[in-house]
Amino acid sequence: MIMDLLLWYENGPVGVFERESLWGYPAILTSHAIGMATVLGVAFTLCMRVLGFAKGISIQAFDKLFVMGWIGFFINLVSGILLFSGSASTYFFQWTFQLKIGAILFGGVMLKVVMNSVRANNSELTQKFFAALCMTSWLVGVITGRLMAYITAS
Amino acid sequence: MTMQDVADFFTSSIVHKWIIEQFWIFPLCETLHFIGLSFMFGSLLVIDCRVLGLAKFISMKEAMKFIPVAIIAFSVNLITGYFFMTSDPNNYIYNYGFQWKMVMIVIAGINALWFWLGEHKQLLTLADGEEAPFRAKVIALISILVWITVIILGRMIPYTDS
Repeated sequence: MIMDLLLWYENGPVGVFERESLWGYPAILTSHAIGMATVLGVAFTLCMRVLGFAKGISIQAFDKLFVMGWIGFFINLVSGILLFSGSASTYFFQWTFQLKIGAILFGGVMLKVVMNSVRANNSELTQKFFAALCMTSWLVGVITGRLMAYITAS
Repeated sequence: MTMQDVADFFTSSIVHKWIIEQFWIFPLCETLHFIGLSFMFGSLLVIDCRVLGLAKFISMKEAMKFIPVAIIAFSVNLITGYFFMTSDPNNYIYNYGFQWKMVMIVIAGINALWFWLGEHKQLLTLADGEEAPFRAKVIALISILVWITVIILGRMIPYTDS
C-alpha cells in the first residue's frame, strides 16, 4: 500500500518533472538551501540567545523573527515535498531520511517548547536544557540531510 | 601563472591526496559547510534586519554581538570550501558557478568592510528602536542579497560545469 503510493508519487508528473527537467532539480535544491539557512538561522540564533549569548536581546523579541523562520520553513516544506518525488520509494526507507524528518519535527516542537518555557518563566537551567536539545535536534537534521547523499542503506 | 597552474598547485598538495584517500572527509566538510552557512546566515539576519529597521525591537549593540559568530562561521566555510576545491580543482576552477560565487564573496567582503569602517561605530550609538542611517540600510540590503546569491551559486556548482 505504502509502496504503491510512493511509486504513484514518484512516477507522477511532479516526479517526472523533477527528474527530467534540466533546471527543475537544481532550482528546487537551491530553494531548499535558502530555506534551510533561514529556518536554521532563526532557530540557532534563538537557541544561542537562550543559552546565554547576547543577553541584552529580549527572548520574546524572537517571536517576531519567527515570521522569517516560518517563510523559510514553508519554502523547505514545498521544496522538500518536490525533492522527495524524485526518488520517493528509495528515500522513504532510508534511515537517514527518516531520522532527518524526525529531527526536524522534534526541532520544530522544541522551538515551541523553548518559547513556552521562557514565557512560563521556568528556571534558567530548564530553558537552557530545552534550547540545547532544540539546537542539537536541528543539527541532527542538517547532518542526516547531507548524509542522505552518501548513506543510501535502509 | 595560468588557471591550470593554480589547479595543478592544488592537485599536488597533501590535502588533495588526503581527501581522495579518506572517503569521510568530503561528507564531513559538506555537513560543516551547511552548519556554518546556517550560523552565518542567521547571524546576518539578526544584524541586517536590525539595521534595515525590520527588527527595531533588538538593541543595535546586542545585534552587533553576532558579528564574531558570523566571522567564525564564515571561517569554517572558508576552510571547508578550500577542502572542496582541493579535492577536485579542475572541476571547480573552470566552473562558472564557482567563479561567480567567489566574485560574490569578494563583493560581500568589501561590503562588510564598508559596514565595519564606515558605519559600525555610528550604529553602536543608536538608541533602542532608533532608525539606522540610509547608507547603513543600503549596506545591510546588499549583504542579504549578496549572501542569498552566494547560496544559490554554491548550490548550482554541480550544474554549471564549463
